[in-house]
Amino acid sequence: MEKIEYDAVVIGGGLAGLMSAHEIASAGFKVAVISKVFPTRSHSAAAEGGIAAYIPGNSDPNDNPDYMTYDTVKGGDYLVDQDAAELLSNKSGEIVMLLERWGALFNRQPDGRVAVRYFGGQTYPRTRFVGDKTGMALLHTLFERTSGLNVDFYNEWFSLDLVTDDKKVVGIVAMQMKTLTPFFFKTKAVVLATGGMGMLYRHTTNSYINTGDGFGIALRAGAALKDPEFVQFHPTALYPSDVLISEAARGEGGILKNVKGERFMTKYAPKKLDLAPRDIVSRAIITEIREGRGFPGGYVGLDLTHLGEEYIKERLALAVEAAKSFAGVDAFTEPIPVRPAQHYYMGGIDVDIDGRNPDIVGLFSAGEAACVSVHGANRLGSNSLLDTLVFGQVTGRTVVQFLKSNPGNPTSNYEKEAEKVVDDAYKFVKSESGVHFGQILEKLRDTMWDYVGIYRDEGGLLNAMCEINKLRGMISNMYVIDKSKVYNTEFFNALELRNMLDLAVVIAKSALERKESRGAHFRTDYPDRDDNNWLKHTIAYLRGNTVEVTFKPVKITRWKPEPRVY
Amino acid sequence: MAQSQEEEVILKVKRFNPERGFWWAEYKLKVDKFTQFTEALRRIKSEQDPTLSYRASCHMAVCGSCGMKINGEPRLACKTLVLDVAKKYNNNVIIIEPMDYFKPIKDLIVDWDEFYERMFKVKPRLYQAKEVLEGKAEHRLKPEDQRELWKFAQCIWCGLCVSACPAVVIDQQFLGPAAHAKGYRFLADPRDTITEERMKILIDSSWRCTYCYQCFNVCPRDIEPVTAIKKTRSFTKLYKDKSEVAEIGERHIEAIHESISKTGKLQEAEVYVKAYGVLQSLIDLVYMSGAGKLKYMLVQSKPVQNIKEIKKILGGE
Repeated sequence: MEKIEYDAVVIGGGLAGLMSAHEIASAGFKVAVISKVFPTRSHSAAAEGGIAAYIPGNSDPNDNPDYMTYDTVKGGDYLVDQDAAELLSNKSGEIVMLLERWGALFNRQPDGRVAVRYFGGQTYPRTRFVGDKTGMALLHTLFERTSGLNVDFYNEWFSLDLVTDDKKVVGIVAMQMKTLTPFFFKTKAVVLATGGMGMLYRHTTNSYINTGDGFGIALRAGAALKDPEFVQFHPTALYPSDVLISEAARGEGGILKNVKGERFMTKYAPKKLDLAPRDIVSRAIITEIREGRGFPGGYVGLDLTHLGEEYIKERLALAVEAAKSFAGVDAFTEPIPVRPAQHYYMGGIDVDIDGRNPDIVGLFSAGEAACVSVHGANRLGSNSLLDTLVFGQVTGRTVVQFLKSNPGNPTSNYEKEAEKVVDDAYKFVKSESGVHFGQILEKLRDTMWDYVGIYRDEGGLLNAMCEINKLRGMISNMYVIDKSKVYNTEFFNALELRNMLDLAVVIAKSALERKESRGAHFRTDYPDRDDNNWLKHTIAYLRGNTVEVTFKPVKITRWKPEPRVY
Repeated sequence: MAQSQEEEVILKVKRFNPERGFWWAEYKLKVDKFTQFTEALRRIKSEQDPTLSYRASCHMAVCGSCGMKINGEPRLACKTLVLDVAKKYNNNVIIIEPMDYFKPIKDLIVDWDEFYERMFKVKPRLYQAKEVLEGKAEHRLKPEDQRELWKFAQCIWCGLCVSACPAVVIDQQFLGPAAHAKGYRFLADPRDTITEERMKILIDSSWRCTYCYQCFNVCPRDIEPVTAIKKTRSFTKLYKDKSEVAEIGERHIEAIHESISKTGKLQEAEVYVKAYGVLQSLIDLVYMSGAGKLKYMLVQSKPVQNIKEIKKILGGE
């Protein structure tokens, strides 16, 4: 197998990965970015509404970073590590202004300064935005910046597995998708910045590429996931195609209405109404639909019509376009049909506040792939872009420190290990007959949606465990019909499915264990939050076919848990 | 919003792999009026034929992965609904092919290397003043400048415009519509510091565009690359080291302006001589007479009557 050597390898070309790579390269180290897509195709491009930031002299005069931390902690239902949330808030202004200087075209106030809008769960408006394509604008800016540095991009390369020696990173095996040639990337530090996993669910706002590859890689290498049961559902995905309608639509004054024309959020969050956090609004919509007040087909209306055409066009162009293109609805004159869909993963690879995984030396993670945790049980809107950049930068800097204090190259007999990674990848798809990935994938997506979704209970979760275990058994029989040696997407889809199943079993098991309701994890059989027993992080390992669940305390600095009412 | 009826369609996909070459595959499936082509392809791949290869990511027209030719038109598969196309062509059989211009790799997947090379040629990043980069100075951006730049910054590198562009095929020195949109976004940014270098990269190329407006027609983000090219041309007067192509182009524009403001009409022969010079015009005259087109060149027409109105429209005098 061909070998190539780097100081550090970043897996993933979205915002978190590029920001890490930027830091590592700027410090003079040799870094590679491996991505299964061209970087601007990453899911970061799909983020819409904005990025939260307290900017001194440019924010609401009453606001300050402490309010921002408080909103984040409360929004996350107190499962947030508060030191991390403080870091996030304190660095928010700086990071937004950095991207501004790099050329990000933020919407402006008349005086030329960066403009601001409201988002769910914010005490004061603090979301900075570029129309409703903020993610795309930031991703392009950062890619433009990073591609001007000394960073080697391996675009359309699929990462298979980490190679470790005595719990230390030795390198990673990746395959060029165009030629199916495996390469061993010898390195001391790997940053997993592989994003989320929406494709596990029947309904998701995520890109097709979000198959949780980083989670699979980490789990198989023996690293833990933190809080894997916390999956966010966004309340307003377009019916029926699940394209995201940004929370900015409600931030700018959009109102949710049921089939009777009632503004139903008055019942569920009398103070914050439509701008309550996502878990609360998602459950409210599902409840309305279940109790017969949804529109036929199962959706509610998001009404923008009172905002005026010009205002909507400038600030919510993508929402209007999506409603028109994908649902045939004119948002200027009629409500947009919406329903909840999977949107974000609060859980992720267990890392500390510096982005370091405690299980494997040299393993780091940032962005949606990581759980620091700043989002706790429920992420506030416009905190995810912020997370990718702040912790992308922090993690990059941690890697730089790590490389400085660990000179010399990893020594290990990696050859055999690397060969085994490739054999394993081929092994589970090398049969001459059996099932193909689609048959398993569609069952998995339905199972997760039905039983590990917005509402959960013990019976459903046991069902899910049973079904997922069956599917995991089936993949040993999986086979690939396409024998082509060029860009064989069927083979890569099968590998993605392996990652998805390794993650699914961990999510279902952790959800079964947590016998309370907190943030996005809602158990109908345990409808209340239980701080006495459950104010703690889940730490889950995958050992063969068993999921090993342990716990870790939540870091609390200044904000004691209080009832979460909006 | 009414509930939606399913209809059966047949997708005829032009497939390719290096061992076998091109062949056609047909897939029958039921779709409703909301089904995007990316979803139709995803279903084919997971339910019927896992060997079908294509690219797709965001399914909401911001990542630019899923460019392909649908019934002959370059489109983003996600931004195109299956039944819309069936209705437009009044035919439930729909033809899907890889984008033109790009080299095919596998089925609908094409090679991007050359496209990316062109994009990177225009130095697609902001070169800020050092003090601003270091945070010692702030460069505020007027809302109207933000709006102007944002229009062109929305290019998602999908390549549809390049696949539709006839000029890029025949002229290696033409950077192509996407690279021009990207280049103009930075050329026009008041915060950028390498304007001179950008003019050197962009101006000659901008005069190689043929103004066919195909890029304007196919761009899924309404960027209007041709508008970026027009606006880039307007920088020519600020640029000293002009190439021959740029000089001819400038003279051509001036001659057109002069002709119209004088006579209200486009006096082709005069414009030609002014743009290309007497010598070149005489040489071309020989070719034209050989081709039997001399009479067109010698047409003389009278000025229009109300020339004052024309001048008003032109904004002069």
